[in-house]
Amino acid sequence: MPISALDSFRWIKTMKIKLFGGLRQKAETAELDGSGATIREILHQISADHAELGEALFANGSSDLRPHIRIMVNGLDSELIGGLDTAVGVDDQIAIFPPIAGG
Amino acid sequence: MQGWAGKILDINLSDNSIETVPLDMEMARLFLGGRGLGARLLWDLVGPEVEPLSPENVLIFSTGPITASSSQTSNRFNVSTKSPLTDTILHANSGGWWGMQFKRTGYDVLIVRGKAETPVMIEITEDGVQIKDAQHLWGKSVFETTEALGQDRNKRNVMCIGPAGENLVRIAAIMNDKERALARGGGGAVMGSKNLKAIVVEGSEKNRPEDQDQFKFMLYETRKLLKASPLTSQALPEFGTAVVMNVVNEIGALPTRNFQQSQFEGADKISGEAITDEILVKNQACWACPITCTRISKTASGKEGEGPEFESAWAFGAQCGIDDLDAITEANFLCNDLGIDTISMGNTIGCAMELSECGYIESDLRFGQADKLLSLIHDTAYRQGIGHDLAEGSYRMADKYGAPELSMSVKKLEMPAYDPRGMQGQGLVYATGNRGACHETGNMLGPEVLALPRLIDRFATQGKAGIVSVHQDSAAVIDSLVFCKFANMAVSVEFFARTLSAVTGETFTEEDLMQAGERVWTLERLYNLREGFTKDDDTLPERLLHDPVQEGPSEGFTANLAPMIKEYYAFRGWDENGIPRPHKLRELGLDFAIEEAYD
Repeated sequence: MPISALDSFRWIKTMKIKLFGGLRQKAETAELDGSGATIREILHQISADHAELGEALFANGSSDLRPHIRIMVNGLDSELIGGLDTAVGVDDQIAIFPPIAGG
Repeated sequence: MQGWAGKILDINLSDNSIETVPLDMEMARLFLGGRGLGARLLWDLVGPEVEPLSPENVLIFSTGPITASSSQTSNRFNVSTKSPLTDTILHANSGGWWGMQFKRTGYDVLIVRGKAETPVMIEITEDGVQIKDAQHLWGKSVFETTEALGQDRNKRNVMCIGPAGENLVRIAAIMNDKERALARGGGGAVMGSKNLKAIVVEGSEKNRPEDQDQFKFMLYETRKLLKASPLTSQALPEFGTAVVMNVVNEIGALPTRNFQQSQFEGADKISGEAITDEILVKNQACWACPITCTRISKTASGKEGEGPEFESAWAFGAQCGIDDLDAITEANFLCNDLGIDTISMGNTIGCAMELSECGYIESDLRFGQADKLLSLIHDTAYRQGIGHDLAEGSYRMADKYGAPELSMSVKKLEMPAYDPRGMQGQGLVYATGNRGACHETGNMLGPEVLALPRLIDRFATQGKAGIVSVHQDSAAVIDSLVFCKFANMAVSVEFFARTLSAVTGETFTEEDLMQAGERVWTLERLYNLREGFTKDDDTLPERLLHDPVQEGPSEGFTANLAPMIKEYYAFRGWDENGIPRPHKLRELGLDFAIEEAYD
């Protein structure tokens, strides 16, 4: 049975994206709703909605993250599980960290 | 002076003797200064027969060849002694202005021996060196003492102990410039055991680099690097060190309620973000530092002061199950005023909370009781009530009540804010730390979490030995020059070598410095072996070795230490008992220690 456009829309679910450090000021919030099948899609979507946040994540027109940006999926660094092409679902906890240092 | 002043000030409080002795320059080139020189001198001066709180123990305050040169972060200094908390070698370093000012008095090192009959202070100025009566200061807090002695930013600088040091609290700190701390390992108690209340310095000599042109070039290049790095130009200035609270929590490596859990539900409330949003007044920098990571904070009750740093916020926060930022901050302020190491204090309170909840201590003390922090800290400083137990540190306290396994410590030094079950390499750092569980001597936060310089799997154990060893050696270099480790986030050891060469006029390479770092690390190891420590002391608390994390990203993991230790000893060129082999000692120029090392 064909899926109508309305049915397709109902299947798109959002997930919570936690922001930290200076990214909170860029997005004016500590938590965003994001959607996408991979981390890359989610980042592009939230960047499109929040221009300053997008600028903080990606250098001018680049598809590569700025240095020292870390993306965690359920507490695991995405670099070790698939990078920006890591598949994510609505039950995954995504956290984005800007360059940070301390200890 | 160019680099080294070439002089040691040697004071014996037992007979009030004051001597200036030449610095052995060959020793200085091999051990640099700071922590390295401190270790080398301590090897000669304090043997296994010396009790840490006896007059025979010494305090060695040491600067480095770049101190006061005006190179970025060239303000730090070191203290070396035998620790009354751990009985190991102790080194601790601090920023602020005191180290720079002491160097300006024309000395590289101050050695304090013996014990005064009544409380005294030492004053080092252009008028000379004096030992003065300090009975009127005994009993005063750090803040009171600092003000009374005329602290004046970069002109006159005060180092002192508070009531904690006077009362020989084993976790007492030595404080400088009011709120900077030579914190870990109980150096404050050693100073108190000598009846030494304060050391005041006021100098004017300059550390003028030998190669001015090269030095100016290095200043310029270092400034560019620090400015270009988002870590040193944005992250640290904007949020301070506590900005790592959330990422360590996110990955499931934030010790909570005495390391029972590895995530804290209140982490965001006590993070760098929260500090910036709610209580930050302004940043502050140490002398010659553009990073400005220090927080000046003000709580709702109007109390203002330095901090809290990440470790302090964790120690009174997650470790105690407390998410009240004001309470944590005021606990930090009180530790500064009474002269207590915040990491050991918070960790030990958390231990007491668990001992109480489990019924080992008859007390109503429980995790989460923010309102109890100030009274517990006060009672620790004055050894009153349960404070007398807290003053002994977590291990001795837990042991007294029949549960030493509840002390989250290594070699009796309380563990800082990373759970080794979520960061395996950090477990190796803690277990092999020469002064005990220490994150400053090789922090794996960079490679295991922040991808600095690149990311490694935090759950892996194979291959960690080499990375840990390099981190430990480079930390020893930085502590011996003495630079700030935050500068190292943008500036390499190779850069430090070029700066050192410009200052001294002698050629140092990155390889020279890294070998010096390994030399210092190995000598510290030998010192502890001579004290009777063995490979059995290179371990972690039973909870971390055997109790898996119950939930979160680190669920199911324990600290898999054994294979890492084996690999570490081999990488270091040590035998299976963790004893450096003779060829390694000769390679590092530690021949003088061979006989005692194998005695």
